[in-house]
Parts: sequence; C-alpha cells; structure tokens
Amino acid sequence: MAQALAVETHGLTKRYRTGVLAVNDLDLRVRAGEVYGFLGPNGAGKTTTLRLLSGLLHPTSGTAMVAGASPGSPASLARMGAMVETPAFYPYLSGRDNLRVVARYAGVPKSRIEPVLKLVDLTDRARHKFKTYSTGMKQRLGVAAALLKGPDLLILDEPTSGLDPQGTMEMRALIKELKQGGRTVLLSSHLLNEVELTCDRVGVIAKGKLVAEGTVDELRARSGGRTLRIRATPLEQAQRSLESLLPEQVRVIDGSLILNVDHAQAASINRRLVSEGIDVSELRVDEQSLEDVFLQLTETPTLPSPATGGGEQR
Amino acid sequence: MIASFRAETLKARKRWANWILFGILMLTLLLFGYILSYVILKHPPRNFESPVPASVLIRAVFPENLLANVLSPTSTIGAAIMIILGGLSTASEFGWLTVQTILIQKPGRAAVLLGKLANLAVITFLVSVVALGSAALTSYLLVTIDGSSSSWPPVSVLLKGFGALWLELAVWTAFGMFLGIAFRSTAAAIGGGLTYLFVLEALIGQLLRETAGIKEVLRFLPGVNASAVNASFRLTFRSPNAGTQLVDATRGWIILMIYLVLFTILAIVIFQRRDVGGS
Repeated sequence: MAQALAVETHGLTKRYRTGVLAVNDLDLRVRAGEVYGFLGPNGAGKTTTLRLLSGLLHPTSGTAMVAGASPGSPASLARMGAMVETPAFYPYLSGRDNLRVVARYAGVPKSRIEPVLKLVDLTDRARHKFKTYSTGMKQRLGVAAALLKGPDLLILDEPTSGLDPQGTMEMRALIKELKQGGRTVLLSSHLLNEVELTCDRVGVIAKGKLVAEGTVDELRARSGGRTLRIRATPLEQAQRSLESLLPEQVRVIDGSLILNVDHAQAASINRRLVSEGIDVSELRVDEQSLEDVFLQLTETPTLPSPATGGGEQR
Repeated sequence: MIASFRAETLKARKRWANWILFGILMLTLLLFGYILSYVILKHPPRNFESPVPASVLIRAVFPENLLANVLSPTSTIGAAIMIILGGLSTASEFGWLTVQTILIQKPGRAAVLLGKLANLAVITFLVSVVALGSAALTSYLLVTIDGSSSSWPPVSVLLKGFGALWLELAVWTAFGMFLGIAFRSTAAAIGGGLTYLFVLEALIGQLLRETAGIKEVLRFLPGVNASAVNASFRLTFRSPNAGTQLVDATRGWIILMIYLVLFTILAIVIFQRRDVGGS
C-alpha cells in the first residue's frame, strides 16, 4: 500500500528575476511520519525549496502539495509549522510575547505557549526581550513557534546553524523527540553527520536538482558502499598502476589511495602492487561515510577540516 | 483577518517607537500649537509685527478655532509622523524578516495585510480622538485662564472636522504603509515619504504652484487636497498666512478618499504577488 505523503512536488522550478535557477524540476516525496533530511551544499537550493513549500515564494513552474493542500494556503499552513532560514522575531518583544503574536496569527489558544516554551527549555528566559537572546535561544524560540500549532508537518531549515556543540546535541535530541506521535519532520542541512544521526530518509540536492534519495544505507550502497584504503610507497607509482587497472575509481585523500571497488579485489590489488615493487604498508576496507557519498553525488570539492582530514586530489 | 488584527494590536501596543511618535505629535500640537502660542501672543515681544494684532491672533487657541488649529499641523508634522508610523508598520517586517514568520502562520497574505490595515485604522482613529480631545481640553483651560469668552463649533462641524482629521491621518499612514511594502526597507520608506512630503509637495509645490501645467498636476496631490479640506474649517479672523487653495474642499475630500483606497489596493496587490525572501 502506498504510504501517505506529507510533501509532494512535481517539476517544481524556481528561477529568480536575476536569472538564477535555484530549484530545477524538483520531484520530492516526503512520507508522513518520517524525518526527512534535505541535504545539499550551501547554495544548492534547499532554502528556496523550503520557501516554496511554505508559500513564501511563488514557483516559476511545477506543482506542490504540502500537508494535503497547495503551499501557502490557509489549509496547508494550518497543518504545518516552519522555521525557514533564520528565526525571525520582533526584537522589542519578549520571547513569550513573540509567541503570543504568533499564536494570535495562527489562531492558537495562548494555553499552548507555556508547554512549547517548556519543550524547548526557554521558560526561564521567556520574559526577556528577543534581542537579548543567544543564537541557540533564538533557534529554540523558532522551533517553539513552529510547534505552536501542534503541526503534522514540521519544516526546519538548518536548525543547528550557529549553535555550539552542546546546543547542537540538544537540538538533535529535540528533533528526535518531535518525531514522536507520527509527526513528519522535513529537515534541511548541509551537515552530513546531523542528517545521518537524525533522519530516516535523505534527499540530496545539488544545483537545484534532487540527485539522490533514500535511506543513508541505501545511498551508501548506491555509491559503492565500501571502499579500499591503501597506503603505498611510492604513492604516485601506485596511483598510476591502479588507475590503469581501474580507471575513474581511484582518488588520493590524505596520502592514501581510495578505491571504489569490491573489497573482494583487495588481495589481487595487493599482489599487483607488490609485484611492481611498490611497498604496501596498509590495506583496509573502509565503510563509506555519508560524507563520501555526498561528495560523489554533489561533485563538490572538499575543504580541509579536522573532521575530514585533508583535501582531495585526483 | 481578525486573528491578524489581534496580533497587530499586540505588536503596536508594545512597540515603543509608536508611543514616541504619538508623544511627538501631541507635544507639537499642544506645546507649540497651544501653550507656547498662547504665552507668546499674550506677552508679545516688542518687535512683534503682524497685520493682525496679537490680541486677535491669540483667539486661534480658543475653542471657537479648535478645528482649524488642530487640522493645520496635520498637513505637516501630522503627515510626517503618520508616514513614519505606516512605514514602520510594514517595512520593519521586512527588515527583521518577521514577514516570513507571519506568512507561515495560518492567515493568507490578504488577511495579514487587512489585519494590519484595520489596526492602523484603529490607531489613526484613536490618535484623532486623543488629539482633538486634548486640544479641546487645552483650549478650554487656556480660555478659562485668559478670562475670555469663546464658543465651541456646532456638533455637526466638530464631527466633520473629526472626519477630516481621521481621513488625512489615514491617507498619510496608508501612504507610509504602501511605501514600506514597495521598498521593503524602513529607511527608504520613511526617507522617500518625507522627501515627497517636504520637498515635492511643500517646497516644489509652493514654488511652482502658479506655473502652468505644474498647477494641474499639483491639483491631484494628496497634500494639496488635504490643505483644501483644512482650509474649509476657517479661523474666526482673517489669518495673515491664509493663501488661496488650488482645489475646493469637496474635491479635496473625494481625492483623499481615492488616495486612501488606492494606497490600500496597491499595497495589497504588491504584497500578494511578491516573493518573500530569496534573490
């Protein structure tokens, strides 16, 4: 039986007046009750897509259904809560008064305010003005506002953006908690590890197009699943030798050769390198991370970072 | 629309900027329009020169001239303050990005804006009531202190004057609100509105008001029409500053109402059609 869809788009396209094609023929399906990670590098079209789904932008072409109605219609908005881009509130109002304003717009009784403040752990600071809030508190108030309606669908755009590690952990725990009760969560992020930790399914967007969709495991399997990591000396000779054997399958990362091949070939590859007088100091099977998959799918060069190690060369 | 109106009233009530603007308006009206005028005209300086004696001019602050004295600053400081109020009410939403917070709640775009309009209509109504009421009270106190006698305008004239005050404040507020939506920037909305009011309407309008061709254009401007409406509430003496009007009062009322509707419709159309966010 086909599962109900919380979000469905067909050929959704947005071209800005500046000529920028931000979303290109996007077909997206978010199932009811799942946490769906919308993943892509900065500028891939994630926020534009969420703005289209929230009715803030008008599509250039294509259609969308959000919570069973067209985006931006009162019927759709009544069943969804969203925090798109930065949490935007009135700086001269307290956190609680900001929620009172949102509740009035949404037609929600004010009795909903205290429970959501408690849920995001803002009760103690609720009387302080929004302009005095830290980034983490602003994000949490944004989530609280999105939850006021008790929505079936929750759209969160980069909810951990700007948060410190503690705040990030708390936000992830909150997102997992929000899934309880069959709520659908559509979460955009450029942080792979966040999506890996919180989402049931992932859609990867690059240059406005959906380039892959599935569970994290499915995406890993689709792009090779596992890789061989080889440390060999001299590296260049080993690279040439393996590229002649396995064209387009060899990358050099952090002084190691990474091969997208079946790990059953490890022994024969080792024999070939040794027979050519190349010293092999390490050969192991690596489980491919979502980051590797993401890089393959989006063809984005990686930047050196403590988490990823170093740069990539071909 | 009711949900949006309730949210707008909460925001407007808690916003200090609105109270400061209201304070400036009342201060200008009561301090400069009444108290200082009375003190100066009661004890005119030796070099005071006027074709009308100070003892006659002082009657401008007495009850018989209530409407003329309240409506007079409405075209200048009143208009400026309401342009700022209207501009702040819409442009700030774009500056703070709260427009997207509002639009992802339940009401549609038209309902959001109509709620904002209804709130501004109530604010302008209350400002008109308080301005006219406090001016009347001040006027009564001054004539009592002075020991003079004066009579209030007939109720029908008072009601008409109140209507004129509310209409003019509403037109300038709608103008500011429209500019806020059109420019999506507080500085541009307020700067554009005040430049229009003080440079185009006041300065150029005065300098070129007798120039053929220009005169015809001026007859359609809101400030010129508001002045014509104000001039219909005459002082009980011939003011040395009274000038001829380019249009009659009836035409002024009609043109102002057309502007009110026009600014409202333009604001709604732009707000409905335009994308929020993105580039």
